[in-house]
Amino acid sequence: MNLNATLIGQMIAFGLFVWFCWKFVWPPLLAAMEERANKIEQGLKDSEESAKKIILAEEQSEKLIKDAKSEAKKIIDTAKSQSEKVIEESKAKASEEKDRIINSAQTEIDKEVVNARKTLEKEFASSVMSAVKKIISKDVSENEHKEVVQKSLDDFRK
Amino acid sequence: MAAPSSERTFQEYLEHHLQNLVYGKLPEGYERKLADGSTTVLENDTWTIAKGKAEVAEMGFWAFHIDTLFFSLLLGGAFLFVFARAARSFSLTKPSKLQLFVELLIDFINDTVKSTFKTAKNSLIAPMALTIFSWVLLMNLMDLVPVDLIPYPAELLGVPYLKVVPTTDLNLTASLALSVFILYLFFSIRSKGFIGFIKSITLHPFGPWMLPANLFVEVIDMLAKPLSLALRLYGNLYAGEMIFLLIAGMVAWQLTFSGIMIGIFGTILSLVWAIFHILIVVLQAFIFMMLTVVYMNMAHEKFEQH
Repeated sequence: MNLNATLIGQMIAFGLFVWFCWKFVWPPLLAAMEERANKIEQGLKDSEESAKKIILAEEQSEKLIKDAKSEAKKIIDTAKSQSEKVIEESKAKASEEKDRIINSAQTEIDKEVVNARKTLEKEFASSVMSAVKKIISKDVSENEHKEVVQKSLDDFRK
Repeated sequence: MAAPSSERTFQEYLEHHLQNLVYGKLPEGYERKLADGSTTVLENDTWTIAKGKAEVAEMGFWAFHIDTLFFSLLLGGAFLFVFARAARSFSLTKPSKLQLFVELLIDFINDTVKSTFKTAKNSLIAPMALTIFSWVLLMNLMDLVPVDLIPYPAELLGVPYLKVVPTTDLNLTASLALSVFILYLFFSIRSKGFIGFIKSITLHPFGPWMLPANLFVEVIDMLAKPLSLALRLYGNLYAGEMIFLLIAGMVAWQLTFSGIMIGIFGTILSLVWAIFHILIVVLQAFIFMMLTVVYMNMAHEKFEQH
């Protein structure tokens, strides 16, 4: 009840306590609490952003897959038409070649046939002549019988 | 030293428990009455512990309440120790229970200060509010310690008087109120300027032609602040302590039927009062803090001509 010097001592103590709290207790605690609050806020913001990013990435990947599919289809289509064309071309070439080979073979054959016929003719004529000569071993004028020979030759030709 | 409380009358018991442990100077030639009734005359000025009211009165202003100083410093130190530790080991991801408690309190103080102290920015206000609230609350809580739990063993150990609740000592509440008042004056003059401060206590509330009346009203108003702060806390806690003492003094614990019944009744009364007192203890700590913040807010207001 009686006021005395305790008052002064207590005022000094109070001053020191407040000073200590002001310098060493309050600021670090408040700063740490604010830091955590910021961290939580940042974390929430980040997670929201990443969720958005995931959606975006999904959309993008879908689009890429779609593009790739259509691209592949296009390539396959071109390849198909290309191969068809090549087959067509080679078919045409082959048939042309075939015709050419057949034709050349035909002309060769024709030529051979003509040649053979000529040779045959010649050989046949001479052999006939020799045979005739042998058969008619008398002197026969060539001119007299030429007509006959010619006639048989014509028959032969027919 | 005579055996403690058991041989005292009710009156003596009360007086004994309301007496601080005072350390001060007794003058040369002072007659000390000893316990056995004889007296000794001091040959020199002596610094000693007062035994009885008369010696306390003789010591005058330059005496110290050892018990008040000891318990208040102990509790204030404990508060700062716990909070400084929480600050040092603060973990952002894995808070301890102690840290959560400290954070709760910091948040509570911070919100209260923010909602009340709006006129200016001052980094001192919030930590001061925290210190006042925690310290006063801890000191008030000493009131819930049973009244004889600490003084009785201390008396057996040779400590003649001991008051364990520092806030029942006017010296302590007045020291807090005075410190707050000094800060009030300091911040008032700093924010208004000296001239502005003088104007604020002379030109208010009636205008310049009523200067003496203004000065009178304003000075009364200003002095009422520390006075009400100091007396409110002191009065509440002193009264609370007094009721605990009255209940404790009533109970004699004699091994008769009526003695035991009175003992049980007193225990129940004491419990009821303690539970009610928890409210008062917290409320008074909060009011002291709140009013401090309000006064600081007023101190930072700029002077406005009305």
